[in-house]
Amino acid sequence: MTMTEPSASRLEVSGKPPFYRDVTVVKWLVQLATLFTLIFITWFLAREAGDNLRAKGLTSGFEFLGQPAGFNVSEGIDTEPATGGRALWVGMVTTFRLAISGILAATILGILVGLARLSNNWIVNRVGSVFVETIRNIPLIVQIVLLFAVFGSLSRVELDSGPINGWLHVTNKGVSMPRVFIADGFYQWLVFMLIGLVVARFVRKNRIAAQEATGEPSYSGLATLGVLLLFAIVGWFIHPVFGFIGGPLQAISDGIANIPQVAVQVALTALAFFAAALWVKRFRDSRRTPAGMAALTDDDWFRQIFAFVGAAAAAAFLWLVWPGFSDWIVNSSSDLFRVLADKFGDNPEFLDADGVARDRDGAPFGWARPDIVQPGNFANYGDQGLTMSQGFAAVFFGIVFYTAAFIAEIVRGGILAVAKGQSEAAAALGLSRAQALRKVILPQAFRVALPPLGNQYLNLTKNTSLAVAVGLSEVVQIGQTVISQSGKSLSVFVIWMSFYLCCSLTISVIVNFFNVRMKIVER
Amino acid sequence: MSSSVVPPNLTPEDFEVEYSEEASLPPEDPSLSPSVWIQKNLFSSPSSAVLTVVFSVIAVLTIRGLLAFILGEERQWDAIATNSRLMAAQGYPLDQFVRIWVAFGSLIGLAGFSAAIFRASGTISLKRIAIWVMNIGVAAGVIGLLAPLSSSGRMGWIIAALVVFGVGAAIWFGFGEERRRSTFIPSIWVLSGFALIGVISLWVVPYGHYFLGEDGRATVEEGTVAFSTQMPWTVMWAILVVSHLVGLAVRDRLPAQASKGFLGLLWVIAPFVANWIILRDPDFDYDHVFSTDIPMALAFIVIGGAVLWAQSSSTIGETGRLLAIAILLAAVYTWVSRIEFLDFLPNWSMLQKARLSMLFLGLYGLAASNFSRDNATRRAYVAGWVIFMVIFHWLVTAVNSPSTLNIQSDTYLGGFTLTLFIAWLTLLVSFPIGVVMALGRTSNLPIFRLLSTGYIEIIRGVPLITILFFFANILLFFLPEGMEIAKVAAVVIGYGLFSAAYLAENVRGGLQSIRRGQFEAADALGLTTSQRTAFIVLPQALRVSIPPLVGQAIATFKETALVAIIGLNDFLRIANNTIPAQTDFVGAKREGLLIVSAIYFVVAFSMSKYSQRLEKRLGLGTR
Amino acid sequence: MTANMSASGMELGRADMIVSDGVDKWYGDFQALKGVTAQVAEREVVVVLGPSGSGKSTWIRCINRLEVHQGGTIAVDGVELTNDTRNIDKIRSDVGMVFQQFNLFPHLTVMDNITLAPRWVRKQPKAEAETKAMELLERVGIPEQAAKFPGQLSGGQQQRVAIARSLAMEPRIMLFDEPTSALDPEMISEVLEVMKDLARGGMTMMVVTHEMGFAREVADRIIFMESGEIVEVGTPEHFFTNPTEDRTKLFLSQIL
Ligand SMILES: Nc1ncnc2c1ncn2[C@@H]1O[C@H](COP(=O)(O)OP(=O)(O)OP(=O)(O)O)[C@@H](O)[C@H]1O
Ligand SMILES: [Mg+2]
Repeated sequence: MTMTEPSASRLEVSGKPPFYRDVTVVKWLVQLATLFTLIFITWFLAREAGDNLRAKGLTSGFEFLGQPAGFNVSEGIDTEPATGGRALWVGMVTTFRLAISGILAATILGILVGLARLSNNWIVNRVGSVFVETIRNIPLIVQIVLLFAVFGSLSRVELDSGPINGWLHVTNKGVSMPRVFIADGFYQWLVFMLIGLVVARFVRKNRIAAQEATGEPSYSGLATLGVLLLFAIVGWFIHPVFGFIGGPLQAISDGIANIPQVAVQVALTALAFFAAALWVKRFRDSRRTPAGMAALTDDDWFRQIFAFVGAAAAAAFLWLVWPGFSDWIVNSSSDLFRVLADKFGDNPEFLDADGVARDRDGAPFGWARPDIVQPGNFANYGDQGLTMSQGFAAVFFGIVFYTAAFIAEIVRGGILAVAKGQSEAAAALGLSRAQALRKVILPQAFRVALPPLGNQYLNLTKNTSLAVAVGLSEVVQIGQTVISQSGKSLSVFVIWMSFYLCCSLTISVIVNFFNVRMKIVER
Repeated sequence: MSSSVVPPNLTPEDFEVEYSEEASLPPEDPSLSPSVWIQKNLFSSPSSAVLTVVFSVIAVLTIRGLLAFILGEERQWDAIATNSRLMAAQGYPLDQFVRIWVAFGSLIGLAGFSAAIFRASGTISLKRIAIWVMNIGVAAGVIGLLAPLSSSGRMGWIIAALVVFGVGAAIWFGFGEERRRSTFIPSIWVLSGFALIGVISLWVVPYGHYFLGEDGRATVEEGTVAFSTQMPWTVMWAILVVSHLVGLAVRDRLPAQASKGFLGLLWVIAPFVANWIILRDPDFDYDHVFSTDIPMALAFIVIGGAVLWAQSSSTIGETGRLLAIAILLAAVYTWVSRIEFLDFLPNWSMLQKARLSMLFLGLYGLAASNFSRDNATRRAYVAGWVIFMVIFHWLVTAVNSPSTLNIQSDTYLGGFTLTLFIAWLTLLVSFPIGVVMALGRTSNLPIFRLLSTGYIEIIRGVPLITILFFFANILLFFLPEGMEIAKVAAVVIGYGLFSAAYLAENVRGGLQSIRRGQFEAADALGLTTSQRTAFIVLPQALRVSIPPLVGQAIATFKETALVAIIGLNDFLRIANNTIPAQTDFVGAKREGLLIVSAIYFVVAFSMSKYSQRLEKRLGLGTR
Repeated sequence: MTANMSASGMELGRADMIVSDGVDKWYGDFQALKGVTAQVAEREVVVVLGPSGSGKSTWIRCINRLEVHQGGTIAVDGVELTNDTRNIDKIRSDVGMVFQQFNLFPHLTVMDNITLAPRWVRKQPKAEAETKAMELLERVGIPEQAAKFPGQLSGGQQQRVAIARSLAMEPRIMLFDEPTSALDPEMISEVLEVMKDLARGGMTMMVVTHEMGFAREVADRIIFMESGEIVEVGTPEHFFTNPTEDRTKLFLSQIL
């Protein structure tokens, strides 16, 4: 390998290479080509879909949201929805109910089972692991269908039946139990409580400062609780003083309703471009050094361009794709304030479903027991007890058990991950077992467990869609009905996707919030 | 104080896999006497004692309730026995049922053979076996004690329990402590031992045989053996054992790498062959085959082969790649243009075949420059194309031919067979897409990263059922005119795209575990990006991802049950809708659903146990 | 050709293999290389010294385009390192690189590690590549390890495999980035022996190392860097006995 004649293999290359050999050019060409191929394929498929739909006499579009629904819903906040949009909203609320109650119940059950699996007691441990292994290895859909069948085989609703007659009924029509509900005076009372919260925060800070100053215990927790309690009790009796808030809220609502669509469009577009410009400015600032601007790579340029492409996409959406969006925002926020306004004061125009004007001076809360109107049926909704229908109960218990089994493993894993070194360290410091668990292990275990826990909450929310298997009218089932009524399959699919993506996003944001908080606490 | 402690470095993925059983169990100390053990593990403190009592009551009541349900007088288990064929394979014609067995047998043979070649079978110590057998005895004893049985039935159960327990104890005490720990038996032999007991029981135990009689009522032939399955199951068992033995015998004589690759290929095409060739039995129209199908295949083999040969020559340079891209573009163009420039072809499906072949030719040709080394390599490269074309054209012709079976619709598959089939195809579809998406998400090309991330996150944000609805109902509208697609195929595509997003996340975990130095070393050696990915990055990433990928496969199998909702007759739908609607078994829902749960449980549970063992054997993190 | 010859190249009467002219490199707003200018002549052994974070690795990684430089020019054997894929391929195949962490491919045997690139980049037939690989393994002294996996070798053996793997591509230049830093003391010498052997064979080498003994014995020239700049260049004798710059003196007093 002796090289005596190096110039033999030399290439005389200078200047720019031809574009097809330039790495940067090729890199972006390939990416852009892929992007445009994908856009082209999507366009092609969409064109085919449009032609095919027209040929079958079907159209896509969202008009059905405002048109009469033409069907009843078996259960939900409104069993006779006026419009298609309202029907879907009823389904969404049922999904929310399932998801929120399911998340709470699954978390509690999951923690209990997880602790059971950590127990030194052999039988507790075994029962826990049999529960987890069984539940995890059977498809959720099968469990839900089975639970539905089991509920269906229970005894009829009778006037004198139920495990605890008049309080708890478990029957083939589902489960019914007492409930506490929000009554007419609630919102005025809520204003009281908000003020109470602000005051309580102030008191708490004050007390903690006092403790740090003097070193003596100042019972900050107790004081905070006392303030809140005081506001709750006083508010219960004198909340009608806030009845006047209805007026200003109504004024806000009217004010919003008068905003023209174009103004919103212009404002939002400006906002999008302003955000993009701000981002780019920040980015460039971060690359500026005392010695001058740093060299920017092609990726850096892409980011800056992409910021503006994003803003342009937002503008295109606002002006071209869905011009009505701005209108929709205006209307719905105006509606929101109007509904809030109606919750305050004695507004004779705002009547209950039964045509009774609400009593704003009444208590904030009420409660009710299961009510059986006739053998075979519970009274549904209204001021009666909390009734889960057969389908709701099957889905609820199905997703709760299923998610709890996974949460139990997460909890166990989190505690095991921390417990080894930490409990010894804690014991060395002289903390008791309970103190060690509360102050050292659980907070850290929670930190380890939070991200996968958030994942399980996402899964639970998505799994509520399995309710369609037992005919419970949540958003997918109602969407199906809409499809069979109007044939708007594409539009309904878009609504489903947006709905679930919003739910996922919300949960991610909440979980992230806690995640970030906990990281700060740790530092 | 805690700031000095390194926080446990766990990723979310750590929680998807199961923790080893040992960690949770109280440490087993063999020298503990029973009373001390009970004292220590059940009554260590007053609160523990209370818990013990409460949980014992819960456990006893649950088991009793379950047994009372299962053994209850009014249970219609005949509904299951009568419909077992329905649940296994739905409406498959009776006179052709042997095809089901042939398909099943081929898969079992392939499995037994592969288990030997891949050395997949673990080993079990005698000690574990003894514990298992004794546990089975205990379980039988619990049934005998708690179930609502007649006194003679109770006696029978208890005697059986004692016998089984005795066998276990005999194994335990028959070997000394040392030998029972250190004697290992391949688990496949243990498994086939248990299977043999089941098979033999078919010959001796008079499981009732039911059938729907002329009058539409279920008829029971009492005392007869289940004669329609005893022979097939025996053969299946024999195939498993023989194929495994053959595999053991030849495995050291075969070239390891090549035979593994070949078996992998067999597993990939097995579902297609089992379904479209064996089960569906295509009725080839031989005139058409000879006049059109074979010439077309030959054309692609010959012309395509020549093109590839040219593309892989060492002198062609960039022209070869440009040629491949041109072929690709032409293939895409024939798709999107509605010009039927190939309209001398007799029908739509022929056109599809030609277009697809062209697409494949373009894609395959892109890799040509890697094989320009010497003529032997080039020949192997072209031979790969020839084999692929033969299989492809044969399968597509088979799929496009009518079936010889006398069936009304195209849904000749159903029941558990359909479940397996969908799960398998879904895995096949999702794997390549998932890997590509994972590569995209970790690539340093921003647009690819954006696209893959968007795809993965959007898919993971919506429930599977909406995607299945979309593909079952809406996909049809998106296809060009004249192109049709069966519901099963639509479902498989949708489900495959769905699980690809999850699979991508698992693979991404593996990709991220690869150190940057590996990329740099490959670059410094001058490997191209695709060579680096194929030879360095993916092999390592996939190995790391095996445990989560097995978890994903289990999840895919479980979620296959969702196809029941969109109206495919898998065995969940048969148990939930079909059987309860039969006049004889009105409302017999829970029985079928329990059986379905049990089957899912057995498969999913054993798969997850296997994956745990695999994880231990791979010794993750040590390499 | 004379235009390509630097002062050092002319002294030695050889052409420059590596020319680095005013090379700049940024990481975000941090400038890691500030106009680095130097040449390496054919068959020359250059050792790069400098405190941690001074940009030594960054510089030699730029020469192999593992990092992309943003200002100035780099030319290897007369080929300028630009965005041109042809040039990049040419330079990558002319330049071998040995890393501190070996970076062997853990899923391939030693033999496959060495033959992978010759087979797929140089398109050599398998048998030829394997014969060549065995020769190289003999040259680095571990022919008996060919069938093992990297995880089964000691650190010194792994690094020697890594050197063999680079040599299999028949490079004209070898870059070493702290090849002995990750090794136990008793393994260092076996790797250094291989490197000395290479240097004696006439290989052009650029070595980042903290092995002062090696630098003194083998180096033709020593380049000293600090905070992204070349501070001093000279023969080992000059460098170790009477360095001109204060920063160099400080550095030497700290490590010697
Ligand atoms: N990928 C990167 N991103 C940001 N900064 C980097 C990156 N790589 C290196 N740097 C910075 O560039 C500077 C030079 O790094 P380099 O690795 O070249 O130093 P070095 O001289 O090799 O040091 P050492 O002797 O410790 O290996 C360092 O300050 C380092 O922090
Ligand atoms: Mg370095």
